[in-house]
Amino acid sequence: MTRLLRHDAGIALSRRSFFVSTLAASVVFGFGRAVAGEGGSQPAAPAQLAPRLTGFEPTIWFRIDQGGLIWINIAKAEMGQHIGTALARILADELEADWDAVRLVSVDTDPKWGPMVTGASTSVWQTYPVFSRAGAAGRIALIEAGAALLGVSSSACVARKGRVEAGSRSIGYGEIVQRGDLARRFSADELTALAIKTPDKWTLIGRSVDALDIPGKTRGEAIYGIDAEVDGMVYARPKLPPTRYGSTVLSIDDTAARSVKGYLRSIALEDPSGTVPGWVMVIAKTYPAAIRATELVQVTWRSGETAAVSDQDLRDHAHALIADRSAGATLDTGGGDVEAAYAKATTRVEATYTTAGVLHFQLEPVNALAFQKDGVFEIHTGNQAQSFILAVLAKALQVPPEKIVMRTYLIGGGFGRRLNGDYCVPAALTAKALQGPVKMVLTREDDSLLDSIRSPTVQTLRLGFDAGRTPVAMDHAAVAGWPVLAMVPQGLLKGTNGVLYDPYSISGADHWYDVGVQRVRAINNDLAQKSFRPGWLRAVAPGWTNWALECFMDEAAHRIGQDPLAFRLARLTGRGINAGSAPNAVGGAHRQANVLRRVAERAGWGRALPTGSGLGLASSFGQERDMPTWCACAAEVAVDQATGVVTVRKLWVEIDAGAIINPDGARAQAEGAVLWGLSMALYEGTDFANGRVRDTNLDSYTPLRISDVPTLEIAFVESTEAPMGLGEPPTTVIAPAIGNAIFAATGLRLRHLPIRPVDVLDARAKASAAAATTP
Amino acid sequence: MARAITSSFDEKRIAGRRLCRRLVVGAVALGLLGLAGFAAFAWQPALPEIATPAPSSFALNVVARGAVLAAAGYCSSCHTVPGGQPFGGGYAMKSAFGTIYSTNISPDRETGIGAWSKDAFRRAMHEGVARDGSHLFPAFPYEHFTKISDDDVDAIYAFIMSQKPVHASAQPNALIPPLGIRALQAGWKLLFFRPGRFKPSADHDAQWNRGAYLAEALDHCSACHSPRNLLGAERGGAARYSGAYVDGWFAPPLTAANPSPSPWTSDELHAYLFQGIGQFHGTPAGPMSPAAHSLFVLPQADQNALVRYIASIGGGDARAGSAAAAKGLALQINATSAGRQTDPDARFYVAACASCHYNGTGVINPARPDLALNSAAHLSSPDNLIRVILFGIDTPEGAPGLVMPAFGKGFSDADVARLAAYLRRTRTDQPPWPNLQKTVADIRAQGKGVE
Amino acid sequence: MSTSFLVNGRPVRTDEEADTPLLWVLRDEIGLKGTKFGCGIGMCGACTVHVGGRPTRSCITPISAMEGAEVTTIEGLDPAGQHPVQQAWRELQVPQCGYCQSGQIMQAAVLLEDFPNPTDADIDAVMTGNLCRCMTYSRIRDAIKAAARLTVQATTHD
Repeated sequence: MTRLLRHDAGIALSRRSFFVSTLAASVVFGFGRAVAGEGGSQPAAPAQLAPRLTGFEPTIWFRIDQGGLIWINIAKAEMGQHIGTALARILADELEADWDAVRLVSVDTDPKWGPMVTGASTSVWQTYPVFSRAGAAGRIALIEAGAALLGVSSSACVARKGRVEAGSRSIGYGEIVQRGDLARRFSADELTALAIKTPDKWTLIGRSVDALDIPGKTRGEAIYGIDAEVDGMVYARPKLPPTRYGSTVLSIDDTAARSVKGYLRSIALEDPSGTVPGWVMVIAKTYPAAIRATELVQVTWRSGETAAVSDQDLRDHAHALIADRSAGATLDTGGGDVEAAYAKATTRVEATYTTAGVLHFQLEPVNALAFQKDGVFEIHTGNQAQSFILAVLAKALQVPPEKIVMRTYLIGGGFGRRLNGDYCVPAALTAKALQGPVKMVLTREDDSLLDSIRSPTVQTLRLGFDAGRTPVAMDHAAVAGWPVLAMVPQGLLKGTNGVLYDPYSISGADHWYDVGVQRVRAINNDLAQKSFRPGWLRAVAPGWTNWALECFMDEAAHRIGQDPLAFRLARLTGRGINAGSAPNAVGGAHRQANVLRRVAERAGWGRALPTGSGLGLASSFGQERDMPTWCACAAEVAVDQATGVVTVRKLWVEIDAGAIINPDGARAQAEGAVLWGLSMALYEGTDFANGRVRDTNLDSYTPLRISDVPTLEIAFVESTEAPMGLGEPPTTVIAPAIGNAIFAATGLRLRHLPIRPVDVLDARAKASAAAATTP
Repeated sequence: MARAITSSFDEKRIAGRRLCRRLVVGAVALGLLGLAGFAAFAWQPALPEIATPAPSSFALNVVARGAVLAAAGYCSSCHTVPGGQPFGGGYAMKSAFGTIYSTNISPDRETGIGAWSKDAFRRAMHEGVARDGSHLFPAFPYEHFTKISDDDVDAIYAFIMSQKPVHASAQPNALIPPLGIRALQAGWKLLFFRPGRFKPSADHDAQWNRGAYLAEALDHCSACHSPRNLLGAERGGAARYSGAYVDGWFAPPLTAANPSPSPWTSDELHAYLFQGIGQFHGTPAGPMSPAAHSLFVLPQADQNALVRYIASIGGGDARAGSAAAAKGLALQINATSAGRQTDPDARFYVAACASCHYNGTGVINPARPDLALNSAAHLSSPDNLIRVILFGIDTPEGAPGLVMPAFGKGFSDADVARLAAYLRRTRTDQPPWPNLQKTVADIRAQGKGVE
Repeated sequence: MSTSFLVNGRPVRTDEEADTPLLWVLRDEIGLKGTKFGCGIGMCGACTVHVGGRPTRSCITPISAMEGAEVTTIEGLDPAGQHPVQQAWRELQVPQCGYCQSGQIMQAAVLLEDFPNPTDADIDAVMTGNLCRCMTYSRIRDAIKAAARLTVQATTHD
């Protein structure tokens, strides 16, 4: 995602001139404190329009009203990362605002906000340059106007906590807005040239703060998409076709459903965008009636071609693709003849790693409220990537994009699911067909079947050593369904062999280790691509590439008889392409080595452990080479010999994400990321069967729960480097650390995620059988 | 013939259909007696209609006493449709042999018992014969009511005749012919019915005898808790109170054979019967629910007497000492199932059930303890547990004000079977229940029923 | 069929079908949106309310079971939103996306009533039925203990 997003940041800063003027009427649509104020009631959904307010609006990003309240426009989706609070801190710090006067406004999809995507842990990184300069511009304008009102020169004034001060005299921002002349304008060039604070001058950034969205969430007042309502709306539940794509409705029989009180009708959707082919929407006056009726409506489909696809089919296909050396796109990893070097190697290590599909299982099932008002389609929902889906909606509804507006609500769990806005389409189409407002809600089972899962993957890694036990060639081939291909194909990149690839389905394989000549091959599993809509899921590709890479590095170290820590450190030299560069990757591989060393030390690497217990290490650069968050994990596990149950006793995690904007918030994100890593390592995953995911609810899908949480010891490297993302990178190191710890405890190398007790027992049985047949 | 019919049904299927078994034996009796003699025996005269007595003709204290007796005898439980007018009848009792509907016993002249004299009412209660001389089906437990004293029957009469008349015609029964012929019931009476008032036992004191009177005459406990012979009569001797199937539920043994890990002491019986929850056993559900709730109205002395008698059947008080061990074991089991879950079934149980059914470290949760102590997990039959998991417990049932959700809505048969098997395996020392998944499917198909 | 019960002390009556889950009556008919829909099978806990003071999964509780019951939702837990559990939740900044937190708070409130000084094992056993997909579990544990301390303080001061 970063590249897609990175593009936008540039636009946001350069394209927009920052106007400084006393204006302006603006419409507020928001959640939480924006309209209601601390502790007050929530705005009534769908859209409570605030009164037309006047005030100082130096940029589109914030406005100060005459009461001194600072309304900051947040174009990022709020889904638990408290992004509004974090971004507002950046702006408020430069603005020298009184934090208590800050209010958040969640904006709609007006094009003026620029492309709207919240993902890949890029929000802070991307918004920081824009918001800090917006705040600085506001501060300068306020100081100038305040100085004039105080009758002193600007240079005699400082701004502090929402006031302009000149010696013992001062004037509040609100009063300046009421009385002052705020005509100062900044050109784009001036803005870019504005000096922003060095970290030592920060007053808000770097300090923990209570998130503005939290109080409402403890009182049941927070409004999520599923809570959206509009007068006269009816409810819809989809009757999902047997395959994600390619099914067509042959007939609908709703005879039985007509006995359901409140049932209205069933509609087969016509979708010119092809997003939801073969969908039937069951409409009722209440949602329970829609649920009941959907179970009674009989639909006959002609199934799509993937109706019988199984996990085995997907895996077999992936193995065949890997075996075909011409398949896939090769990344630019410095060139060189990998095959030749590998052929010459004296020691060769090869292993294949696999991962099962993973459901997002965000707790709020996807939903959307849609209606047409004054010729404009309104879609009320929680979404992470409005920019991705608006064009699709336009195609589906056959209206120009400017005739569609999305209103963003709090998101009851994103984890990447809501980057895929496919669920907006059926709601919009239904509203169009009914010519009235409709609220579509998926049941949990529907949500799981529709989910754009993290693709099951197959990866084969090969590493060759010379006689001096130095790596000379490495090959990493990764097969998966590709989210970018499914959702934003214009985001595909061209490999060195001219083949297009999804950068977010291979990142992580392009690691910072010196391994001699290197080839990284991204291969699309086209059968997976047809069978489901591959999705981005927390940590995206490095959530599984790094699992394979870091377990494989462990294997390789053991094969050549080296300590896994020493082996890694010796490869993290920071030389050549691994030196790192400004602005984001300063320090390069040295910073990865640093977190690894630190975590190993904290965990007591090398200490003796009881039989059946083991310590494992893994590290990563987070998600992408040019936006690295350096992470390392040490896991201590105990493996029950009889049952194969793996108990994680403790996880030590070390993170270098540059400067930390909000330490407590950062820790919260890291805790979540670490436990997601643990959940996907041991507890969750689903197979594909009959063209669908096998597990659709919590009776058989078993994500981590509170009783599974081990002791966590998370530390951050103190840094003043550019702030990087935090919500995902720590996920990448957990599974491989556990896999390596299991090896340390048992000598068994587990190569499939999730690792279930039965897998441990199978591995043991195979190892015993192999030992028995070895003379 | 009867054997052929009854044995063609598994005991459970006709369980609770005690009434229907009696219908069958009616037919048997017919064969035994021969038509002529039987007709003479079966014939009963009609008693004259009377002018409906005015409510004011009954002494208030008698009416009040009748109200308590009627409640504790569960009159309205059977003679009222859910949500309907009290005593208006029409409550359907379904069985494999058809459906029988309870009659209107409100003082309505036309459709109720407004024209019944006190004598007619007494004859119905004591002999199972309606005012018009027809035999009542033994769904009406006159073999117990015959033991009620004349005084008490009169009080119940006074209470019922003081109620609001409900004009509601009895729905005709829909029974497989010839079971609908009332005269056939006389045969069954001849074989199994022993009319006569309650006789106190000289071996016991007044309180015990009072409890026995309440349990045997008015509350007819053994009608559900005793198994029946092939001819549908309650079995005596050691089988008495040894547990039986009733309307899809298993009425557990009240004897020492009751498998609850913690004994049914007087205290537990008190809590269970009169507060709606026994900490060490659970809560009355299914047909026991209205039964227990009806007993809430009994005066304290009668509650004590009833508990005294019931406790004496199982001798729980003598084993009170074993409660501590059961509690300790339950806490230990509970402790091992808390914390890190390594068994997939345990994960399932903890996620689905333990949010409500939990103990603390060393403390038994008073309201919804961990299921290690729950009676249903220990019974020979899984039916009660399965029913409660599938259909939940409504507010009017069980512990007052509490509900249990209906997990059947979201759980598959396999899920429910898995939970039941897990509880059985980890919470009890009883043998596993066989064919659980099929049992779950069967019970789901039967539905929640009308309780 | 009509069902009458109390919600946050207020009498309500609904004519919804007998098998309609309490959850949807609370959310869509009464308008109390703080109780959330997560899994619909009673295994995530997002829909937890109190019925007769006990935590109850409203998504699988049929409305027909509710006659005469007393229901408390997150909105009614404390008139000012100042229940010790709510305070502790804010103090420790527990919620992330927040979607499960109404249920977590309702569950934790009863846990503390039953066991005012819960151990980690107590917390794990009782709270395992409440899924938090943001994985705020460590903070939930800490906040329950903090709420226990707040409760003790409040009692001492009274």
